[in-house]
Amino acid sequence: MNKLENIPVQAKSDKKRTNPLARVFDELIQFCQSRSMFMLHYCTGCGAIELPPAMTSRFDMERLGIQPMVTPRQADILLVTGYVSVKTLKRVLLTYEQMQSPKYVIGICSCTVNGGMYWQSYATAKVLNEYMPVDVYIAGCMPRPEAVIAGLRRLMSNIENGKGDAWKDYYKRYDYYLGNQQHLFGDDWQTPVDVIGEAKFYGLEGEETYGEHTKILEQHQEPLEAQVMRVKL
Amino acid sequence: MNCDEINIWLDTLLEEINEIKVTRKSERRVRVDVDASSLPALLELLKGKASYVHLSAISCVDWPDDEEFELVYHCWSYEAKSLLSAHTRIPRNTCEEFAHYVSIYDIYKPAGFFERDIYEMYGIYFESSPFMEKFILTEWNGPPPMRKDFDAEAYVNETFNWAEYNPDWLQEITEEGGGIEIRPEDVRL
Repeated sequence: MNKLENIPVQAKSDKKRTNPLARVFDELIQFCQSRSMFMLHYCTGCGAIELPPAMTSRFDMERLGIQPMVTPRQADILLVTGYVSVKTLKRVLLTYEQMQSPKYVIGICSCTVNGGMYWQSYATAKVLNEYMPVDVYIAGCMPRPEAVIAGLRRLMSNIENGKGDAWKDYYKRYDYYLGNQQHLFGDDWQTPVDVIGEAKFYGLEGEETYGEHTKILEQHQEPLEAQVMRVKL
Repeated sequence: MNCDEINIWLDTLLEEINEIKVTRKSERRVRVDVDASSLPALLELLKGKASYVHLSAISCVDWPDDEEFELVYHCWSYEAKSLLSAHTRIPRNTCEEFAHYVSIYDIYKPAGFFERDIYEMYGIYFESSPFMEKFILTEWNGPPPMRKDFDAEAYVNETFNWAEYNPDWLQEITEEGGGIEIRPEDVRL
């Protein structure tokens, strides 16, 4: 299986939803989703120090159904805790693109909102939602565990009310996000994830998915190939 | 041999080097100002004859008014239990774009790491240093950022955008009783 074409992928069916109970089930699914979330905390800055008390017995995030998870591929929430340097931003984006939909991003601390105390640093990216869609920002330097929990509750209520769909924005307006990324990383920036292909798969490609920046990407993009597994002895 | 003896020996040794100014700040701190051409010889002597075997850091100071960089080599001796800082000044901009100096990698191996860092942050090229490629700032293509003439604030304003202060979602939060307590225009600096 060295070629991508050989890997079976089932695309989304075009069948229309005819079941009258579909919306009821949607609400049930949203409720269940909001009560069972796995969180990947990308501890970029000092804000991460407030997470251990928020997760463990004192404030106990687990009573809300939120648990830490070790890998992006099995996580729902990406917590970016603190300043994001340009170098880190690359890694955050790689992490974000690996996560499965539906995925949510929470920016903790003032640094992710507007640069925070590092606003005049040449090395930090200032506004996180220029590079990836952010669901909830928790401001503060640093926010207390109560604030973290309040932010997570807001995310939960957003999901329950069907408003937690910022991840769709990444596919719908990929050109905008890619443009901001290229502005920092240069024109030859590409990730191993085929975002446009995923947008097609989810049926989320829109007019703003394509644009001048995706054209630049196409020029520089090396074709994605499945990795060959080798055992070195 | 005790500490005092080493210190006396050190003082005699240092007098033999040209254009040197030794300031003994305290029993355990010596400041040596030396000409750039004789610094490697001084370090060679310090390591070989005076037990200063540990190079703990090389620091760099930018003096844009004097058109000079100051390099400070911090050396430790475990036997004399003292820290010696050797200061030297090199011209800031020579005929090439970057200032350059000679590497001391063959005397102190850890110097390769510090020199690579200084090359990245200040743009001083160390000749014959083994690692001169990018180190921490792998995504950086601009001028060396720690130089005093690099205006970080202007660069930031040119490169990055700032968040809006009155977006729609903030009004929703304000209606619920949250929002910004003190607006930026109300802050008195």
